[in-house]
Formats: sequence, structure tokens, C-alpha cells
Amino acid sequence: MSSFFNDFKEYFLLAFLLTISLVLIPLNNNPQVKNLRTFAFGNFAFVNEALASAENFFALPQKLERAKKLNAELMLRLNLLREYGIQNIQLKKLLRYAERNKFELDPARIVSRLVSLGRGSVIINKGKNDGILAAMPVVDEFGLAGFVIHVSPNFALVRTIQNTKLKISITNQRSRENGILEFNGEKFLIRNIPTSADFKVGDRIVTSEFSSLFPPSLPVGVVVAKERSPSGLLSSVTVKPFSKINKEDFVFVLKFVNQAQVDSLKLNLFRTEE
Amino acid sequence: MKKFVKPILIFIPLAAIQLTVIPLISFQGIFPDLILILIVFYSIKEGQIFGMILGFALGFFFDLISGGLIGSSMFAKTLAGFIGGYFYKENDLSNIYSFNFLFITLLAGSVSSFIFALISYSNIFTNFLSLFFLQGLLPGVYSSIFTLPVVVLKPKSLIE
Repeated sequence: MSSFFNDFKEYFLLAFLLTISLVLIPLNNNPQVKNLRTFAFGNFAFVNEALASAENFFALPQKLERAKKLNAELMLRLNLLREYGIQNIQLKKLLRYAERNKFELDPARIVSRLVSLGRGSVIINKGKNDGILAAMPVVDEFGLAGFVIHVSPNFALVRTIQNTKLKISITNQRSRENGILEFNGEKFLIRNIPTSADFKVGDRIVTSEFSSLFPPSLPVGVVVAKERSPSGLLSSVTVKPFSKINKEDFVFVLKFVNQAQVDSLKLNLFRTEE
Repeated sequence: MKKFVKPILIFIPLAAIQLTVIPLISFQGIFPDLILILIVFYSIKEGQIFGMILGFALGFFFDLISGGLIGSSMFAKTLAGFIGGYFYKENDLSNIYSFNFLFITLLAGSVSSFIFALISYSNIFTNFLSLFFLQGLLPGVYSSIFTLPVVVLKPKSLIE
């Protein structure tokens, strides 16, 4: 028995270690595992930040940060103006909408990023001490980039929109058609919409009033293709996202989180990702 | 136990580079894995059991600090340590200072990336072959290119 164990000890150890790894995967939502993760990335992010700072040494980061913040604010303002132009009939509604869209932007530098096809994430150098909370949306200077998922005192983990589990409730800014946008690992799609739905190439896609995670009218992307299903009854629309978070050094956290919404059952994605 | 100190110390700057610099040279989710190279290196140098334990520990640390799915890198890196350790030869480092290291990294990298993709992206890919090619072989090739400095320069300080 002992000699049998000695002959195959590598295989026993391999099986044991692989089993532990597999057992840990479903435990990712366990509060203790979450706390351990928050502690680990919160501390290691200091090392990443030092390296990221060295990278940006010649880029005059503060000036760049100010410029990008201004750019992001202008992007949001431009988006509001487009809304005013399209929805002039619903003036009262628009006024209320405008009030809701006075977003406070908090600029943050990306200190590390995890390259992943279906679960992209970045760590930013803003955390609880800066008023960042879980579920806050994150934009870059072009559009919606993701949302905060874990927060440590000085850093926050942001899940990007390139996430196969994320379903974003969207609206076509021109036709006001609604749909659900999802990422399939390769491209962003609005699936199973009626073929008669008014989506045209070039239409701008923004977050919908119905979104429980994001505020309305955040720019998401632009329609680049519309394809009919073989049955001809349904179509799927391909959207090119505005966000370039994989190339950006800075993002902006929108200090928007509705506690009632966080408490609601609608945030099932956030809960599973948490 | 003492033998683990050096690779863990090397892991800290490597992980920081992996999370800050490497994304800049990734394309379509394909990127070189510096942690994998470290694990394969030490598996060839110290043996299969050492490689598996090191892969398991470093995979766990990497999952924690990167915000990834805890367990996925652990699984893949343990497997990489197991494969790398197959090529361990007592008192013989010829597999590190030759192109064998490149091919061993290619093999371990391809298998571990493929397994990692199976765990993480199984809902994305429906075609098994494309999953193997895009998320197994290509990352393996990309990682193995990064072993060239060790193969060509043969730094003695790494072995001591």
C-alpha cells in the first residue's frame, strides 16, 4: 500500500490540489472569500500603482487626468443635448431627466487590469476613502465602461462591460426602442428583437430608464449591423461599444448608486458577480 | 520550505508586470503568462511535486490579487507545474538552458491556458477546436516566446 502510494504520489497530490481548486470556484461568493480578495487586491494594488505610476512618469498624468475629466463631462453633456433634440415632445419628462443626470465624476487611474475574454476587470486607485461604493457605474471618456464590484479602503475592483454575464438594459437614442445588450465573448449583441424594431446602422445606444444598475442615457455604443434570424421573425443587432477601457489609463466613477435599487432583486447580476 | 521563498519573491514583481504591462501587449484576450514561465522554470529545476505546490500557491495568490475567479488560475497553474515537472532531471539543468525550455513552456502553457479557458469561457466558445487554438495554443506560443531571454542569455543567477 505504502509503495503504491509512493509510486503514484505525484498523481495523488495533483488530484488533491485540482480538487481543492475546483471546490473553491463555487465559493467565490462566500463572504469570507470576498473579504480575503478585497484585502489581497487592496494591498497588492499599491505595488501595481507604483509600477503604473512609473509607466506614466513622462505623460504628465495630472494634466492628462484633468483633460480627460473635462472630456468625459463634455461627452455626457453632449449626450444630454442629443436627448433634448430627439425628445422635445416630452419636455417635462426631460427636465426631470436632466436633474437626474447631474453626475459627479470621480477620476481614477487604472493600476492593473486582468485580461480575460469573458470576465475582464481592472483595479482603480480610488476606494472607500474616496466615497466609492460597490455598484457605482464607471465610464471612460467615450462611454460606459463597467461598474464597481469590490471596494477596499484605497482601491476598487471594476468589472468591465466585456463580461458575458452582464446584461445591459439599453435604448436606441433615435427610435426609443428598448432591448437587452449582452457580450458573447466576441461582440456586443442585442438579441431576439422583433425584425420590425427600428434599429439602423449608426444609431446610438444608451442605457435605458429600466436599467437597475446604470443611470439612464449613459452612452454605450453604436449600431454596426442588424441580422435576421433564419426564421425571419427575430433579429439581432451588433453594437460597437464606445468605451476603450482596454487601452485607457483613466476612468471616471459616477457617484450614483440608488440604495433602493441595490436592495432590489433586479441586481441579480451584481450579486452573482460580487 | 526555504526553496519556496525565492520563487514567491520573484512572483511579486512578475505579477505586477503581468497586471500592468502585459495587458498593453495582449490582443484578442491572448497574452503571455509570466507566472506560468516562473512555475515551469521551477518545476523543471526542482521537480514535479515542488512545481505543483508552487503552481497551486502562486495561482491562488494571482487569483486573489487580480480579481479573477478564485480557483481558475490555481487549477491551471497546478497543472502547468505537473507538466513542467515531468521534464525534471536530477542535477541536470539542460532542459532550462536549451530550447527544450521553450517547448516545455509551449506544452505547459497550451494545456494550462486551454484548461483555464474551459473553466472560464466555456459559455463563450461552442467550437472545441477554436477554443483549443485561440485560448490554448496561441497563448502557449506567446508565453514560450518570453522564455527566449532565459534560453539565449542563460543567466546563472537564476539557478543559484
